[in-house]
Amino acid sequence: MPVYFLEIIVVSLGIIMLLVDAFVKLEDKRSIAWIGMLGLVVTFGLLFRVQWPESTESPFWNFYTTGDQMALYFKGIAILTTLVVLIMASDYSRIVVDQTAPPEKGAHPQSGLGEFFALPMFACAGLMLMASANHLVSIFVALETVTIAFYVMVAYLRRNVGSLEAGVKYLILGALSTGFLVYGFAWLYGMTGSMQLEEIKTALSGDNVNVIGSLFAFSLILVALAFKVGGAPFHFWIPDVYQGAPTPITAFLSVGSKAAGFIVLLRLIDPFLSSSELVGKIILAVTVIAVLTLIVGNLSALPQQNFKRLLAYSSVAHAGFLLMALACTPTASQAGEFLSPAKVIAFYLGAYLLMTLLAFLVMTTVRVQIPGEDLTSYKGLAKRSPFLAFAMIISMASLAGIPLTAGFFGKFFVFQLAVQQQQWFLLTVGLVGAGAGFYYYLKIAASMFLSEQDPKDDISAIPVGTLSRIAMIVLIALILIGGLNPALIIGLLS
Amino acid sequence: MTFLFYIFAALALVGGIGVVVNRNPVSAAFAMIVSFLGLAALFIQLDAYLVGVLQILVYAGAIMVLFIFIIMLLDVRVEENRRFPFFGALCTGGVAAAFAALLLVVLNRSEVGAATLPALAATEGPGSSDVHRIGELLFSQYWFPIQVVGILLLVATIGVVVLSKKELK
Repeated sequence: MPVYFLEIIVVSLGIIMLLVDAFVKLEDKRSIAWIGMLGLVVTFGLLFRVQWPESTESPFWNFYTTGDQMALYFKGIAILTTLVVLIMASDYSRIVVDQTAPPEKGAHPQSGLGEFFALPMFACAGLMLMASANHLVSIFVALETVTIAFYVMVAYLRRNVGSLEAGVKYLILGALSTGFLVYGFAWLYGMTGSMQLEEIKTALSGDNVNVIGSLFAFSLILVALAFKVGGAPFHFWIPDVYQGAPTPITAFLSVGSKAAGFIVLLRLIDPFLSSSELVGKIILAVTVIAVLTLIVGNLSALPQQNFKRLLAYSSVAHAGFLLMALACTPTASQAGEFLSPAKVIAFYLGAYLLMTLLAFLVMTTVRVQIPGEDLTSYKGLAKRSPFLAFAMIISMASLAGIPLTAGFFGKFFVFQLAVQQQQWFLLTVGLVGAGAGFYYYLKIAASMFLSEQDPKDDISAIPVGTLSRIAMIVLIALILIGGLNPALIIGLLS
Repeated sequence: MTFLFYIFAALALVGGIGVVVNRNPVSAAFAMIVSFLGLAALFIQLDAYLVGVLQILVYAGAIMVLFIFIIMLLDVRVEENRRFPFFGALCTGGVAAAFAALLLVVLNRSEVGAATLPALAATEGPGSSDVHRIGELLFSQYWFPIQVVGILLLVATIGVVVLSKKELK
């Protein structure tokens, strides 16, 4: 099956879901989400049956990579994320119905829910396209498709001021960062005369490189992408937007958008790294951002009392570790000896997907029962719902990087790269950051197990939907498997 | 011809500043038209006639009319005077000045314009005007991004419908 069928299937699924929402009389609109979930499971299976084309003469292949295992891996990340987001969204639908406008007389009581399930599908198609884009134009249109879908989804809870505020903030800052990206692209085109990444690479690795102009193009692109992945000092939108957005969308933002941002960053940085005149300065710029991100993310997470805000800063901190891997790119002569930064980043993102989605699944389940997202809501959860508490512990342990979890190997590979490249300062900052991580992740665990619940409160077990339960069990299993045998995940990359 | 460039560039900038500074939404919208006109003139100076004309027809024309309609319908009042955010303005100004300085240095030292890019290859087909060439390119070389833009517009349409549903009292 040709590789681009994957995107076509996902887009068609989205359109089918919209049509079903409009024309089929459904008792419960959550069945629309099931169409999506089923379709995504099938699409995920089809990932393993992709055939690369024999001829790449059609203009299509100017925009789309071929024979690229990394792209497939990131497409898999996008599909899995969307699948879990749909599961969460269908649990979360009661809150969505509450917080959007009441339906008109005679309309379906759940009207407005169908689009909440369909929009992630389009965002997913955009993310998948970003993984394969190798032309500045296709990178841009894919990125914009994703971003516009996110603007809408973040502001989806129209009667919730927090959600609207988050939507407006994300819209304004997102537009600004898009401006930087396009300006950077314009400079890059001006410097190299091409928009195709391979041709740009040839142009930049030649002798006649306009150093200042190319560096300027790179710094503009870096600013825009640091915004997308949440690198300091361009991370200011993250806590507010994560807190205000509907919880499933927060999960989507923190995993899907970050993964796609990194694959684009990896693709765009590659031509610059091939130029011997530019490589040192490029690495320096990435190092500075990585150091700032590690410090800001980890230290700001320490005092947080709201769980979503804490996870927001944690996502900034993880972006720091990922940028750290990127800053440790080996020189051409050393390449091949070690795990390449691209593979380390891919592995880290895979692990990050598992643990973050697990945390958000637990959070959605708890949020549907208990209003509010403060850490105090999780007091005594271990007594109330041992399974949820166990899932949360696994997720937090993995986020902190405790051995036997996938998160441990993610950090381990990053630190290994830093040692090999003798980036001692970066390594120190990374270790301090990881240490701080232990404190704030385990603080949550402590509040679940150690603190007693108020006897007046409801202490009945929190109901967990069947699909959510299955998803949690699968994610826990994958985290542990990744922690015992990381080679399995790395094997997917080649 | 250089002085024309400076005039229109200044026009675009003044319009842009007007959008930010004006407290009255209608005046801000009109300042935006001024900015668009300046931009359109710049495009035309660069021989990008189609883009320039579209800038006037679509942006300064259609979109602005829609904009002003909405402002009038919504009856947006003049924004109330707030305390001038001194610290915020200082930070923003600082960042903007730093960026402008950076741009000046880069433009001075990077020898931009020393080499020119090759002209767009003439395409086959019935005409040789800008419209023909761009249309031909869009639907031959660039058909794939165009399809993706279609999805993008679909998403945007869904978004508008979802976010602007009628609120029942």
